[in-house]
Amino acid sequence: MPEPAIRVADLRKTFRVPVREAGLAAAARSLFRREHRDVHAVDGVSFTIEPGEVVGFLGPNGAGKTTTLKMLSGLLYPTAGEAIVLGNVPSRRQSDFLRRITMVMGNRNQLQWDLPALDSFELIRAIYRLEPTAFRQTRDEFIDLLDLRELVSKPVRNLSLGERMKMEFVGALLHRPQVLFLDEPTLGLDVTMQKRIRSFVAEYNRRFGATVLLTSHYMADVQALCRRVIVIHHGRILFDGALADLSTRFDSTKTIGVTLRDGTADLSAYGEVLSTEEGRTLLRVSRGDAPDVTTRLLRDLPVLDLTIEDPPIEDVIERVFADARDERPTAGAVAGGGRE
Amino acid sequence: MTGTGPAPTTAGGRDLLRPLKLFGLFFRIGALNELQYRANLAVQLFQSALALGTGLAVLGLVFGQTTNLGGWTQSELLAVMGVHILMGGVIRTAIQPNMERLMTDVRQGTLDFVLTKPEDAQVMISVREFRIWQAVDVVVGAIVLAIAVAQLQSGIGLGPGLVFAGCLLLGAVMIYCFWLILTTAAFWIVRMDELHELFDGIYQSGRWPVTIYPGWLRISLTYLVPIAFAVTLPAEALTSRLTIETLALAAAFAVLLLVVTRWFWRLGLRNYSGASA
Amino acid sequence: MTSPTASTAPGAPGAPTAPTIGTGPLASIRGWVDLYVATMRISIASQIQYRVSNYFYMIGMVTEPVIYLVVWSTVARQQGGEVGGFTPGEFAAYYIVWTLVRNMNIALTPWAWEERVRGGELSGMLLKPVHPIHNDLAGLAGWKAVVIVLWLPIAAFLSLIFQPTYSIEPIDVVVFLVAIWGAYVLRSMFLWLLGLVTFWTTRVGPVFDIFFVAELLLSGRLVPLTLMPDWAQQLADVLPFKWTFSFPIEALIGRLPADQLLRGLGMQVLWIAISASIVAACWRLAVRRFSAVGG
Repeated sequence: MPEPAIRVADLRKTFRVPVREAGLAAAARSLFRREHRDVHAVDGVSFTIEPGEVVGFLGPNGAGKTTTLKMLSGLLYPTAGEAIVLGNVPSRRQSDFLRRITMVMGNRNQLQWDLPALDSFELIRAIYRLEPTAFRQTRDEFIDLLDLRELVSKPVRNLSLGERMKMEFVGALLHRPQVLFLDEPTLGLDVTMQKRIRSFVAEYNRRFGATVLLTSHYMADVQALCRRVIVIHHGRILFDGALADLSTRFDSTKTIGVTLRDGTADLSAYGEVLSTEEGRTLLRVSRGDAPDVTTRLLRDLPVLDLTIEDPPIEDVIERVFADARDERPTAGAVAGGGRE
Repeated sequence: MTGTGPAPTTAGGRDLLRPLKLFGLFFRIGALNELQYRANLAVQLFQSALALGTGLAVLGLVFGQTTNLGGWTQSELLAVMGVHILMGGVIRTAIQPNMERLMTDVRQGTLDFVLTKPEDAQVMISVREFRIWQAVDVVVGAIVLAIAVAQLQSGIGLGPGLVFAGCLLLGAVMIYCFWLILTTAAFWIVRMDELHELFDGIYQSGRWPVTIYPGWLRISLTYLVPIAFAVTLPAEALTSRLTIETLALAAAFAVLLLVVTRWFWRLGLRNYSGASA
Repeated sequence: MTSPTASTAPGAPGAPTAPTIGTGPLASIRGWVDLYVATMRISIASQIQYRVSNYFYMIGMVTEPVIYLVVWSTVARQQGGEVGGFTPGEFAAYYIVWTLVRNMNIALTPWAWEERVRGGELSGMLLKPVHPIHNDLAGLAGWKAVVIVLWLPIAAFLSLIFQPTYSIEPIDVVVFLVAIWGAYVLRSMFLWLLGLVTFWTTRVGPVFDIFFVAELLLSGRLVPLTLMPDWAQQLADVLPFKWTFSFPIEALIGRLPADQLLRGLGMQVLWIAISASIVAACWRLAVRRFSAVGG
C-alpha cells in the first residue's frame, strides 16, 4: 500500500480579524479599543489523497478552499492539526518538498511580463536546477500539447488572457512536480481555453501519475477532471466521495421533462413545476416517486416526449450550501478579544 | 409638469473666482479625508524634523569651514533654506498631488470623468488633490524663515514683505506651469513615472542660492526648471538683493509660462480626446 | 533521461520529478552560477526596454552630487583652494565616482517589499526552492550592468565640465571593482532587513528615514568623511555605512594606501557576514509571521 500523497488530520486555520465599523465616530473609537473577531477559515478538516488522484474542492467563496490549499503548499501555518504532503510537513518549506509541488493560481502571473515566455522558462530551469536535455524535452512537449509554438517568443504582455494562462501552466509544470495545487485555474477564460487546460491537466495526470488538487467555481472543470470531490463550507467538509454520489447523497429528487402532443396542461398535480417553456414542462419529484409519476403521466396524458434526469450538479451544490447554512449557527462568531 | 432639460444652475456667466471656489471645495473634502489619519501627521512631523535637522547639519558643516558662501552669510543661507522648505511644502501639498493624479488618469483613461464635468478641465485637474499633512513643511519653512529674518541686520518692513510674498506667488505659479507642461507630455509619452523623483532631485538644488552654480547650470535652473524663481528670488527679496529688473523679468516670465502652459494643455487635450475612440 | 510512465489509473506510482543537474559540490556551484546568470539575463533584458526612463532616473540622480560638488568647491576656492584635504578638482573626482557608487548601491526599498507582499508576488517566491534573496541580488545585479554602461557617458560629460583631479594606480582599480560589488551586497542586506520590517508594520517609513539620514551623514554620501567633525568620523568607522560609500570612492580616486585598501575589503566582508546572519534569522521570523497572517 503506497504512502498517501496527502494526509490531512483535523486541520484548522483561524484568523483574527479586526472589527471596524463605518463612520467617523467608530473610527475614533477604534483608536482606543481594538476589537477582534475570530474567523475559522478551516475548521477541522481531514482527508487522505492517494498518489495520482485528481480531487476537486468545491465550495462557495470564503469556504476555506484556498486556505486549505495554501496550508498544503506551505504558504500558511496551520493553527492546529496535521498536514503531510509527500511525506513532508509543508510549512517547513524544505527545498526538496518545494521541488515536487507546484501551485497555479488563476489571475496571478509568475512569468516575466515584458519578455517572451521562453526566457522565463530558462529562469525556471535555473531555479529548479533542471537537467538541460530533459528540461528541453519536457518544455517542447508541453508547448506542443498546448499549441503554443508561435507564442513562446512573444512578450507575455502581448498574449491574451487564455494564452497567458496556458503559458503559466507550462511554466508551472516544467519541473514535473508530483503534486499540483490548482486554485481557480480557469478563472476568466473562455470555454475553448477551459477545455484545453482541462485536457492538459488530465494528460499530465495520466502521463506522470501526479496528484492534483483543484478548486474551481466551474462545475465543468470538476466534472471533466475529478472523480472525487470534497465539498467544503464554513471551513468544514460536507462531503467527500465520488462525484456521482454527490447527487445521490444530497439530492433525492429527479427532474422529469414532459412535452405534450397538444399544447400545455397544468401538471402541478404530478409534482413541483420548475418551468414551462415552449410546451416543455419541467417537474421536480422525489426519487422514490419518480417511477410512479412517470407511469401516471404516460397513462393520463398524450405525451410526446419524456425525460428523466438527475438535477444539475450546480443545483445540488447550491442546495447543499443552503441546507448547511440553515442548519449550523453562523461560523466566525464573535470570540476572544472583542468587547461588547 | 416638472421642467425638462438640464437642472437649473446658479447664476451663469464667466465667474473668475470659480477656480478659487473649486479649490476651496476640494480643500475641504481633502482635508476632512486626511484628518482621519492622524498618524500621518506624526509621520510627517518626523520626516520634516529629520529633513530640517539634516539641512541644518549641512549648513553647520559648511559654515564650520567658511564664513560666507558665494557672498551669502549663514543667516542669509538659512533664509534660503526656509524658503526652500516652505516652497517644497507648497509643491508637495498642492501641486505634485494633482500632477500625479493627472498622470494616473491619463494612463488609466479615467481622465474622461473630468472631461465630462461642466468645469474647465485645467482648473479641475489643478485643484482637486490636496495633501494636508505636507503643509507641515510650509509651517516649518515659515518658522525657519522667521528665525533667519530675525538674525538678519536689516529686519523686514511691510514693503519688502509684500514683495517677498509676491515673489513666492510668482515662484509657485512657475513651478505649477513647469509641472503641468511636463505632465501634459504624458498625453504622448505615457510612461512618466520617474518624473517625481527627477524633480525632487533637481529641486534639491534650490537649497542653495543659484548664484553659486556655474553659468550653464544656473541658466538651466532658471529657465528650464524655474527653481531660481521659486526659491532664490524670494530669498533675494528678503536679503535686499532683489532688483526691479529681476522682479519685472520674473513677472513677465510667469505670464509667458502661464500662456504656454495653457496652450500646451489644450493641445494635449485635443490629442487625448481624438485618440480615445 | 527518464521515460514518462503511462498510468491510466490513479494510484499508480508517479514518474519521478524532472531530473536535476545532480548533487555534489561542483554541480552545486555550477547550479548557483547558472541561476545568477539566468536571473541577471532576464533582468537586463527587461531593463533595456525602458531606456528613456532609465536615463531620466540617472539624470535626476546626478543632480544631488553635482549640488554638493558645487557647494564644496565654492567653499574650497574661498578658503584658499582646499578644504578638508580636498581641492575643487579632488571634490570633482570624489563626486563623479560618487554617481557610479550611488547607482551600484541601489537596492529594493521597503515600499517595494510592501508591494510584493500585497500583490502576491511573495507567495510565488515562497513556493520556489530557492531563497528569495538570490532573486533580488541577482536581478538587481543585472540591472547594475546596464547602469554601468549608461553611466560612462554621464561621467565623461561631468569630467569635461568639472575637471576632476586624481591619481589612480592599477591596484586602486582592482580594489574598486571588488569593493563596489561588496558595497552592493552589503547595502542590499540592510535594505532587506528594512524590507522585512514591513511584515510587522505598515509604517516602515520612519525607520527607513532614520536609516537614510544616518547613512547620508555617516557614509560619505553627503560629504567626504574628512569634513565631518572628529566624533562623527570615529562613529562612522565603527558603523557599516562607510564601507558602502566612502570606501569604494576613496579607493578609486587613489586616496587610500595599500593597507587601508585591504582593511576596507576586510571590513566589507565582516559586515556582510554579520548582516547576512541577521537577515537569515529575521527572514525566518518574517516567513513565520507571513504564514501566520496570510497573504
